[in-house]
Amino acid sequence: MSIYEILFWFLTIMAISSALGVILSRNPITSVLFLIVTFFAISGHYILLNAQFLAIVNIIVYAGAIMVLFLFVIMLMNLNADVEPQKGRLLQLAGVIAGGVLFLVILAALKSATVLPLEKTSSDIGLIKNLGRVLFTQFVLPFEISSVLFLSAMIGAIVIGKKEETKNPLTP
Amino acid sequence: MKAIIATTILGIIMMFAGIMAKEKKPLTTLATILLVILLGVNIWDLTNTSSLAPESLFNNMLRIDRYALWFNTLMTGCTLLYVLLVGREIQKVGEHVAEYFALIFFILCGVYLLSCYNNLLILFIGIEIMSIPQYILAGSDKRNLKSSEASLKYFLMGAFTTGILLMGITLLYGATGSFNIVSFSFLQSDHLNTLALAGILFIMMAFSFKVSAAPMHMWTPDVYDGSPTAFTAYMATIVKAAAFFAFLRLFQVSFGSLSSHWTFVLAIITAATLLVGNLTAVFQQSVKRMLAYSSIAQAGFMLFAILAVNAVAWQGIIIYAVAYSIATIGIFTVLMKLKDYTYDGFNGLAKKEPLLAFVSTIFLFSLAGIPLTAGFMAKYYVLQALIQQGSLLWLVIFGLLMASISVYYYFRVIIAMYFKQGAAELNSPVSGTDKFMLVFTCFLVILLGIFPQLLLGNI
Amino acid sequence: MKFLLLAVDQNTPFNYFPVALQLAIAIGFVIVMMAATHLLGPKRKTHDKLANFESGIPSVGNARQPMAIKYFLVAILFVLFDVEVIFFYPYAVNFRELGKDGFYAVLLFVGFFFCGFFYIIKKKALEWED
Repeated sequence: MSIYEILFWFLTIMAISSALGVILSRNPITSVLFLIVTFFAISGHYILLNAQFLAIVNIIVYAGAIMVLFLFVIMLMNLNADVEPQKGRLLQLAGVIAGGVLFLVILAALKSATVLPLEKTSSDIGLIKNLGRVLFTQFVLPFEISSVLFLSAMIGAIVIGKKEETKNPLTP
Repeated sequence: MKAIIATTILGIIMMFAGIMAKEKKPLTTLATILLVILLGVNIWDLTNTSSLAPESLFNNMLRIDRYALWFNTLMTGCTLLYVLLVGREIQKVGEHVAEYFALIFFILCGVYLLSCYNNLLILFIGIEIMSIPQYILAGSDKRNLKSSEASLKYFLMGAFTTGILLMGITLLYGATGSFNIVSFSFLQSDHLNTLALAGILFIMMAFSFKVSAAPMHMWTPDVYDGSPTAFTAYMATIVKAAAFFAFLRLFQVSFGSLSSHWTFVLAIITAATLLVGNLTAVFQQSVKRMLAYSSIAQAGFMLFAILAVNAVAWQGIIIYAVAYSIATIGIFTVLMKLKDYTYDGFNGLAKKEPLLAFVSTIFLFSLAGIPLTAGFMAKYYVLQALIQQGSLLWLVIFGLLMASISVYYYFRVIIAMYFKQGAAELNSPVSGTDKFMLVFTCFLVILLGIFPQLLLGNI
Repeated sequence: MKFLLLAVDQNTPFNYFPVALQLAIAIGFVIVMMAATHLLGPKRKTHDKLANFESGIPSVGNARQPMAIKYFLVAILFVLFDVEVIFFYPYAVNFRELGKDGFYAVLLFVGFFFCGFFYIIKKKALEWED
């Protein structure tokens, strides 16, 4: 077992167990903290794949910014009352069956997957320089179009988050 | 292609108009003018493109053909009709009127991308650009708790489904090593691996959610019911039609050769959609909720086109999209004029507002698929497509049966209007412009019912 | 320790080995220290010691109060511009190579964001109202 494999298994176990922690822990704050651990483990995977830019972005954007938003959302909720909606037995059973079927599909897909004859490409493909070159030449359209997405997100933040300056509240 | 740029710029103009404008009324006028410009740009695109070879743009990210351009033009036209009909209702929803219109322009950007994408990345971005403004529009009525609930529900479900779509794309990429929808490696050889099939299944589930097909339809009634009615009319029509067009594009162009693998699953989804949509609609008390279920039922018919995998399917989806959009926008416009959204709210409308009752009768006829209306021709074309496909005749018969059930709940509204005693209360007086627009829409429905070729002549 | 130096001129995951090593040492140090104080220190729990410390006065009310949405508004706008800035990094690395086309692409992208920024300012989303 090389050091690469040891790292891979370590990160995998860390990612899976902390992801389980996200859904199994009762306290939402604990869930968020587990999620951060998951993101770090996935960033580790990116580094193993030699995709360093993705690893850094994952930490800055996801573990940094988006987690803060998650914490804000949790603080916006009223956490004093410890209410967890009770799901019916039937619903739980249906969930287990559906999840199990999904798991089976993926398992079957991966088991019988014939791996494509991969071309021997250089391992530098995930480095920032190569990524930037592809992003700004081949994938320039998705890059530009994503700004429309950002604009609608900004409008959304204003429309939903901004207090309306109504002088006279409309009669219902 | 010019239309994508144009709609983005017009959306930004609309955003800034919101900062400048003091009144709400000029904003609606501005949006109408901008939509006319956008329609002009679309027609310009259409006349500039030769009818033969599809044109690839941006390193094969987009592949523009006549179907896509024609669909874009029609959808822009429907949006213009929508703004003309319900523009005044949009003003009543909230403070940020300009933003609502800007979001509609951005949704149109998503629609254009979805009609001509050639790369799964563009499909993903297109679906997101189309969905995110909808989440916002669903929650735009902040004083109403149901609207917020609708928005949140839609957002959570939609985000989850987008995850499934991405998973499907990933599996497909893993199996074929390509994002390009016309160059998947399973197209060349018989060699087909389970990884690709699982990917197709995931993508199918995600699309079924977006078009509210049966096992994934749970969000539809709540979201359509909770959102402001003005925006429900848009979500249920143009957005849904665009999702169907994207669905058809992917499953015909790139998975068409594999149809024996996925037809059965999709046939069951279709049958379930028809059954659930039509049967549940029968038991609704609120007309708005009934229309939500009826939109599920109509989605069942549109799925016929995807099952068919032939040339008629393209014509079917275009005719169905337009016919269904026009009639649904029309009936929602009438609904918005009423105070009470239950069936009782329609009681005696024929005596009070005979014109309103008449036009809604025509719209409901079209939705039910009565001959001489656009809805009939739409149903005719999709059924025709499925009959040509040949192996799913049981579904055709089942569809006809379900169409006859749908007549019941559409006619319940007509009976309430004409034969029940009562005083239907109006929300606001119906102005002359409203009347003119409604009659014009009604005229369109009948015109397209008699000459459906008008919708196809240009292709 | 020679392999640490060997990995420098080629880009492999093992360039990050020193980082990982330092991370492991830092985390290990914290864990050891915390465990040591926990095990070695005396434990005398009294009611006063376990109470929340609030500048010496008895604690008032509940700390878990819903916060205002304006914090969230600023945070979400921050995330959007954060993502924008990240796109500059791959561009900057390829600045010379991409030439004019790349420049126009980035200019358009920034132009859109500038429109959004102007809009946000005009809408007073960043003003700290009460």
